[in-house]
Amino acid sequence: MPLQADTRLADRFKAYLSIQQDSLKQSFGRIWQTPVASSLTIFVVAIALALPVSFHALIQNAREPIEALETTSQISLFLKPELSNDVGRALAEKLKKNPVLKGASLMTKEDGLRELGAYSGFGDALAALSSNPLPAVIIVKPAATDADSVSRLLVELKSLPEADLVQFDNEWLQKLQALLAITERTVMAFSILLGFGVLFIVGNTIRLELQNRHEEIAIAKILGATNHFIRRPFIHSGFWYAILGAVLAWVVANLLILGVQEPVNRLAELYGSPYRLSFLRVGDTLILLSIATLLGVSGAWIVVAHFLRKIDAD
Amino acid sequence: MSIIEFKHVTKRYPESGEALSDVSFAIERGEMAFLTGHSGAGKSTLLRLIPVIERPTRGEIIIDGVPIHALQGRRIPYLRRKLGLIFQDYRLLNDRTIFDNVALPLLITGHNPQDIGRRVRAALDKVGLLRKEKRLPPALSGGEKQRVGIARAIVHKPPLILADEPTGNLDRELAEEIMLMFREFNEVGVTVMIASHDLDLVRRFSRRTLRLEQGRLIGVS
Repeated sequence: MPLQADTRLADRFKAYLSIQQDSLKQSFGRIWQTPVASSLTIFVVAIALALPVSFHALIQNAREPIEALETTSQISLFLKPELSNDVGRALAEKLKKNPVLKGASLMTKEDGLRELGAYSGFGDALAALSSNPLPAVIIVKPAATDADSVSRLLVELKSLPEADLVQFDNEWLQKLQALLAITERTVMAFSILLGFGVLFIVGNTIRLELQNRHEEIAIAKILGATNHFIRRPFIHSGFWYAILGAVLAWVVANLLILGVQEPVNRLAELYGSPYRLSFLRVGDTLILLSIATLLGVSGAWIVVAHFLRKIDAD
Repeated sequence: MSIIEFKHVTKRYPESGEALSDVSFAIERGEMAFLTGHSGAGKSTLLRLIPVIERPTRGEIIIDGVPIHALQGRRIPYLRRKLGLIFQDYRLLNDRTIFDNVALPLLITGHNPQDIGRRVRAALDKVGLLRKEKRLPPALSGGEKQRVGIARAIVHKPPLILADEPTGNLDRELAEEIMLMFREFNEVGVTVMIASHDLDLVRRFSRRTLRLEQGRLIGVS
């Protein structure tokens, strides 16, 4: 008996799947038969999706080199000018043992003078000085580069008796990161707006389809069609508009990336960086397809539900 | 047992007043009955109450043992599947073939394709349109369109057929042909209720006839 019930359930499930499959095929056929109207909707969906997706991809791409920069940040610890190179060397050795630091190296007074001479162009003037006015500097590399740890480390270094001036030279990096965060937020906000756009475009297209097939729906209802039966083909149309639009958006986004890839890669090469611009990843592609499907199906659902409520009320 | 039972049914429209006033009657299973009256007497309103296209203002309606005057919305489709509805204006889908039009009730109930093909052809055969299954409705004459409407109404073998002025747009000869078809269905056990203002035609079939006038049932003969 339970076996029989199981087979019956399995049969019903099979019948359900075959109905869904047929309906998917039919809705695709309908889209295919009205190529102009359908492609308009699909193009608009594609543009609305391609914009946030390409921006998202570019931000993802920008984050990688910026994160790489973060790990190269360093602190310059200027010692009091009266202290000798030897004192500096001893302090550098001591600092190296501190676990919050990745490294510490001494730049002697002489190193400093040589560098200043080489980069400033004042070499001759500097050579005329009777004594070296430059302090010894210890270049410190923090192990953790987040803002909190770095500022704690800065306080600690400033409190050293040998310290004269502590300079953390990554303010520009922080600004860049802030800028990136702003851009990310903006892209997110636009993505949400454009997502609503997709919902409305699909919804509006389905609304027109409902109007065109109003008579057919009225007849089907009188012959005993459930709301589920009437809803199904429209939900499937919504699915197709969204998924076809998403596939097109995927192509457009990758073309945009391809367009900027060459100059970006050349820039990276000029900086001697192995960094290369990458296309949309598999994970991002899957997210794109699922969000698009969700939007298309919801757009269709909302409009059909409203339409059915209106018919039922009449 | 009655398949249709009306108990003190009143239908009032806010704009036009009472379309049916305190109507009570019963149609037995296997019966063939006519509903007559002038246009505006309430025939269409009465027939629209049975598939719950509209609901009565007062009174009780029982169809096939189920009280339907307060039927839940989601139960309505299952009630309608027990009915075969035929309309004066045919209500066919003009962009679908005859075959697809007749197949619609079976698609709605989720029959498999082989079953649908077999049943649709059997129904079209009964109304004599088997060879026109691939045509579109606009290519058919009025009588043929109504036969498609009838095929669609019987394809799922409902126990009850309701026809609202099925011959209203047809000439005498075609009308009689259609009526004979209904009698055939009735002879195999289907209950048939036909609304018609063509008293001559109705009289020739000498079946029970409900007469409506201004929303009231004024006689049964």
